[in-house]
Amino acid sequence: MIHCLVIDDDEDDQEIFLMCVKKIDAEIRCLTMNDGVEAVSMLVSDTSYVPDYIFIDVNMPKMGGIDCLRILKNMGRLKYTRFFMYSTTSENSLLVESKRLGAEEFVVKPPRTAELKEKLCNIFKIVSNMSA
Amino acid sequence: MIANQETSDMGSLTGKNDLYQKMVEEIQDYAIILLDTDGIIRNWNKGAQKIELYTENEILGKHFSIFYLQDDIDNNLPQKLIAEAKETGRSVQEGWRKRKGGSKFWGSIAITALHDDDNDVIGYCKVTRDLTDKKISDDNLRMSEERYHQMIAEVQDYAIILLSADGTIENWNAGAQTIKGYTSSEILGKKIEIFYTPEDRNAGLPQRLLTEARMSGKATHEGWRVRKDGSKFWGAIVITALHNKDGLVIGFSKVTRDLTEKKMAEEKLAAYTAELEIQNSELEQFAYVASHDLQEPLRKIQTFSDLIRQNYDDKEFVNRYFEKLEASAKRMSELIKSLLNYSRLTKHEENTYLEQVDLNTVVNEIKQDFELLIEEKAANIFYESLPVLTGNRTQMGQLFSNLIGNSLKFTKDVPVINIRSAIVEREQINDAPKSLASGRYNLIIIEDNGIGFDMRYSKTIFSLFKRLHGKQDYAGTGIGLALSKKIVENHSGHISAHSTPGKGSAFHIYLPVRNIGK
Repeated sequence: MIHCLVIDDDEDDQEIFLMCVKKIDAEIRCLTMNDGVEAVSMLVSDTSYVPDYIFIDVNMPKMGGIDCLRILKNMGRLKYTRFFMYSTTSENSLLVESKRLGAEEFVVKPPRTAELKEKLCNIFKIVSNMSA
Repeated sequence: MIANQETSDMGSLTGKNDLYQKMVEEIQDYAIILLDTDGIIRNWNKGAQKIELYTENEILGKHFSIFYLQDDIDNNLPQKLIAEAKETGRSVQEGWRKRKGGSKFWGSIAITALHDDDNDVIGYCKVTRDLTDKKISDDNLRMSEERYHQMIAEVQDYAIILLSADGTIENWNAGAQTIKGYTSSEILGKKIEIFYTPEDRNAGLPQRLLTEARMSGKATHEGWRVRKDGSKFWGAIVITALHNKDGLVIGFSKVTRDLTEKKMAEEKLAAYTAELEIQNSELEQFAYVASHDLQEPLRKIQTFSDLIRQNYDDKEFVNRYFEKLEASAKRMSELIKSLLNYSRLTKHEENTYLEQVDLNTVVNEIKQDFELLIEEKAANIFYESLPVLTGNRTQMGQLFSNLIGNSLKFTKDVPVINIRSAIVEREQINDAPKSLASGRYNLIIIEDNGIGFDMRYSKTIFSLFKRLHGKQDYAGTGIGLALSKKIVENHSGHISAHSTPGKGSAFHIYLPVRNIGK
């Protein structure tokens, strides 16, 4: 079973993400956190939770996405977890910094759900049956 | 070649040595003339013909005063020269002479008396050199030197000073007087230290510059200098060592330009440039965050309309997403409005209309604006005799509206907002940037009992679009505090934020105590 963690302060974006994941594969377990602080404290306290994928929004209150990435990458338990940045806009310095810290890709939130589903299918290595 | 031998004396004199006579005759560069005791020309050589243009036939038997100008003849110069030669054996003189035809040349002459065995004068040898070329070049040199000295003396824009080897002022020009204020008589004999500030004098700057000039030939420096009246000017100086033939330093020339205006202009330019750089980087940040934050609702509008199209038959879904779509559009509109507000704030105070603003009135008006929210939350706003200060009324309104609005917004309980003021000195403001001017400030504290924030964020909350609280919990565009900070800075003030999470926050606003027009 695939475990996926989404860290995003935007409720709407959480909802859209969950909706897309569910359409791709209802078996994927997806957890949402509202900001970096919340995510870090959850991962620190719940030592049994090891997500396969973590999506981190860049602009968040309290703790920004880049700081959150830096902390989570240092958790030995998440050694095999794949990290993705997930933001409205991409800026080169942020992209470079996130790659340096170990994020696999900087995903720009697409305006259409079809694009998001396709992107997630590629990431989860699921052959999309909704390409039409 | 020999004149009629009128006297036996001359005969013995002239017939002595043919070779010697030949030599004299052939010399071209000197007119060598033999005169008898009366000054009558008895012998004439090639040099004489070349210089004075007469042929032998024309000139023999004439008195040598034929070469003199009328003025000299009137003054009996030829006679005087003969008399001197007779008296002392020799006379020398330089002066303008007349050639055949009347053209002039500068002659350097030596008349030597010739004696017989009894030591009686039997004639004179007159040797003349044509030094016209040298005379002209000497005259030109002298005139050029005179002009040069005059030029230096009269140059107004540069202080040109001659210093002795130990730095004593020996010469002073008009420019020096204009720039430094001393007259020549006041300053000659003084040391150059007099032009330097006490700090530079104590640091040994003047002597260091002289040493540098002594070692490497010249020294240049720019810095504040002192005039006679104690006022300062920005001087650009060049000290050049002057050497004698043996290479020893015998003094210095010191050229000073008053570059005060240029310096001022440069400083102004540097300040403008620095401000422009700040504005540029602000603009970059503004453009980035603005595009990011505007993208967000726009993207959501696209996503929601996309979802609505896909689920057109699900009425409940459509309604829910239409609401979300409208909320995004509303949010975008709010963002654009606040961005406009922010960008409209002009940096330069001269572009901002200043007046006396009574903060009591400002707060009262804001209370009326927030009437509904205050009623809804049963909020209490207390304020006591706030100051009247110089500022822009609209911006002051925005500032207090933002801060009071935040206090009403970020709250879990019944909001209690206290606004009070005090007068403080610049030194009492600990967390202000160095650039904050000295003087007295109005301190206005807006304190609430809201959710507060972690003091870690006391600086970042003033950044554009920084939200400490999730959008779903508390509304806001993330511009309010950035706007507030900009308004305070526009008024040459300072704002800081203080809080204990869960207990409340306090915003400290410092605005300078001043009068309009200052």
